[in-house]
Amino acid sequence: MRAIAWLGVLICVVCAPMSVAAQEATEGENTAAEIRALERAWSEGEARNDNRALDLIFDNALVYIEYGKVMTKGEYLTRIRTEKPHTQQIVMEGTTVRTFGRAAIVVGVYREKDMKDGKVSLSRWRFIDTWVKKQAGWTLVAAASSPLPR
Amino acid sequence: MQGLSVMKAFALLVLLGCAGALPGRAQEVSDADSGSKIVALENLWNQAAEAKDMVALDRILDDAFVYVDPEGRLLTKAQVLADVKASHGMRFASEAMVVHLHGETAVVTGIYKTEGVERGKPFVRRDRFVDTWCYRHGSWISIASLATPVAF
Repeated sequence: MRAIAWLGVLICVVCAPMSVAAQEATEGENTAAEIRALERAWSEGEARNDNRALDLIFDNALVYIEYGKVMTKGEYLTRIRTEKPHTQQIVMEGTTVRTFGRAAIVVGVYREKDMKDGKVSLSRWRFIDTWVKKQAGWTLVAAASSPLPR
Repeated sequence: MQGLSVMKAFALLVLLGCAGALPGRAQEVSDADSGSKIVALENLWNQAAEAKDMVALDRILDDAFVYVDPEGRLLTKAQVLADVKASHGMRFASEAMVVHLHGETAVVTGIYKTEGVERGKPFVRRDRFVDTWCYRHGSWISIASLATPVAF
């Protein structure tokens, strides 16, 4: 009986780290899928000028860096709400999601096609978005991009 | 007696099961200390890059660290360390840093000043940066950094 009990303990000792690792891998995949969905919701919300949807995605302390300028959540939402949308198209070229416990980093490249003063301009950007899991779920705390050479 | 051993083994089994289910990062992070610690680490990062102190840089940067430079290039930790090794007489300084704490994650924004000599000509450039830090195993470690030209 004692031997069986200790065998049980041994199995538990060997299997517990394996099951934790498997659980973490699954959680990582689920997190990546959840964050990719939020990134899509952000793009769609911005395209529709849907500030209510964006308000739920962005953390109140969001730091947004665009064209080398730092914007708060309020400034970014105001820009989306008040400016005439001139961006014709944003195409994502691929993203990578890395999770670090309750933080996640999204690295990717997007292409932007703008129409300004009747002229079409094309640009490519490499970006890093930082997401943090809070009580209400994953929220965007920082987003920044750097221009890629043409 | 044999029954007691079985009970002990069962209790141990339950404890092990519980230990496996714990998230393992329940340490509290003090917001008051964290901000100043992170600013100090940002300055240490600059000093380590200037001095080509690879040991210090290895501790500051997570193995999965990624960096996007002002030209949009994506670099891994190994590539960043190789760039530092290859650099000559560069001086780095961070200005106007602001730390935003989100529990065990921190975002730092600021201006990154680089001074050096390129093709015989001295240069100074300023880029806006965003660094992301994570609190793990009792210390802060940088997981990502992006630099972009200031207001263009």
